Amino acid sequence: MFRKEVVSELRSRVAISSVGLFALTTLVAVAYQIGPYRIHEQDRPHLQAALLWIILFFGASSGLPRVFVKEEDAHTAKTLRLAARPGAVLVGKFLFNLLLLLGLEGFLVPLFGVFMGFAPRNLLALLLVLVAGAVGLAACATMVAAIISRATGSSTLFVVLAVPLVLPLLVFLIQGTRMAATTPDLTAIGPALQAVSSLTGVTLVTSGFLFPVVWHD
Amino acid sequence: MTNGKKVALALLFFWFCLVIWAAFFYAPRAVGFKGESARIVFFHVPQAWVAVLAFCVNLVASLRFLRHRRLLDDARAAAAARLGLLFAVLATVSGSLFAKVMWGSFWNWDPREISIAILLLVYAAYFALRQAVNDPERRGSLAAAYAILAFVTMPFLVFVVPRIYWSLHPDTIISAQGTVNVQMEPRMFQVLLGSVLGFSGLFWWLYSLEVRLARLNLWREHGGE
Repeated sequence: MFRKEVVSELRSRVAISSVGLFALTTLVAVAYQIGPYRIHEQDRPHLQAALLWIILFFGASSGLPRVFVKEEDAHTAKTLRLAARPGAVLVGKFLFNLLLLLGLEGFLVPLFGVFMGFAPRNLLALLLVLVAGAVGLAACATMVAAIISRATGSSTLFVVLAVPLVLPLLVFLIQGTRMAATTPDLTAIGPALQAVSSLTGVTLVTSGFLFPVVWHD
Repeated sequence: MTNGKKVALALLFFWFCLVIWAAFFYAPRAVGFKGESARIVFFHVPQAWVAVLAFCVNLVASLRFLRHRRLLDDARAAAAARLGLLFAVLATVSGSLFAKVMWGSFWNWDPREISIAILLLVYAAYFALRQAVNDPERRGSLAAAYAILAFVTMPFLVFVVPRIYWSLHPDTIISAQGTVNVQMEPRMFQVLLGSVLGFSGLFWWLYSLEVRLARLNLWREHGGE
């Protein structure tokens, strides 16, 4: 399933280009209007952490729902239901979304550092928060994408449904990123990382139980 | 309406009159608050409690729908969510009025305020999803899946976020150390408990009306379950 997703995406490159361009446009708009020097020194870590995750989430939201929406649009969902077990479909789509998010972070975070003057005090801590965030966002977004693909007006519905679910996750991710930007101590991100991991774990387990219902209905 | 229901409704009405009287005349004036503003707690906390109770009822009805596939269970889940949304709005409004009096601003981005705002967003998203699906059975299963997914994230908002961030709200009854922490004058606590009971009764009465209405609608549309 994961290989099918990657091959299919490499053929069209719709998700990669929409996610990348949307995130880049948002970053340029934010950096042009705010930039690093319009924020007070003491407010920088807090505001930059919040802006980074807002840009990442809204950039990703243009591509994450595609994993399921494209199957319904291309009328391939029925074949997929016959060809693969629900668990395999969920894992494959989740891994693809995770790869997409990690790619987006790899592309956007260095640019964010350059445009916004964002320099973490502990790079390893930031990397851990980014990876945990990508896993959490991919878990939540994949399940929401599965739900909205069965409804009408699905592209607008994704953000409406996903935002309330990812908000707690974003709160902890912003806190972790702020800690990585302000202190060299790796243990400072511990509470945020624990909260993100538990929330991700709960979301993944619940999705595992709910997905067959959503997929076969 | 049966005689038993009439008596229950009259009791609920009498109980609410008693709670309103007790909130203003039996409970003493709280120390450290501006004027009589603290008395709003007797209405604000039960409204927030009912919003969470409705969320739990929505979860149970959603699970029942996924198990038995009865449209009435989906209607029960939707009724609970509708009432939960109403009580969440009431809790937000009453809390904002208190915040304006005490802290000079209707909204302070307190962790508890964020929790109720997200609860409102979840309920709103739940109804947006319901409106976007035409087939009743599919609507039921998608809405149930979303409700269950949303429910599992709520403990993080209600229990974890307020313990990480500083809050304007007082400490929760069950503290971070797991001890029971009631720092309320006994008469105030009695009124608060009475109000929680009254609001829960009000919720069940409104909920039973909604479910009866849904049952009639289903009977009219499908000729019974």
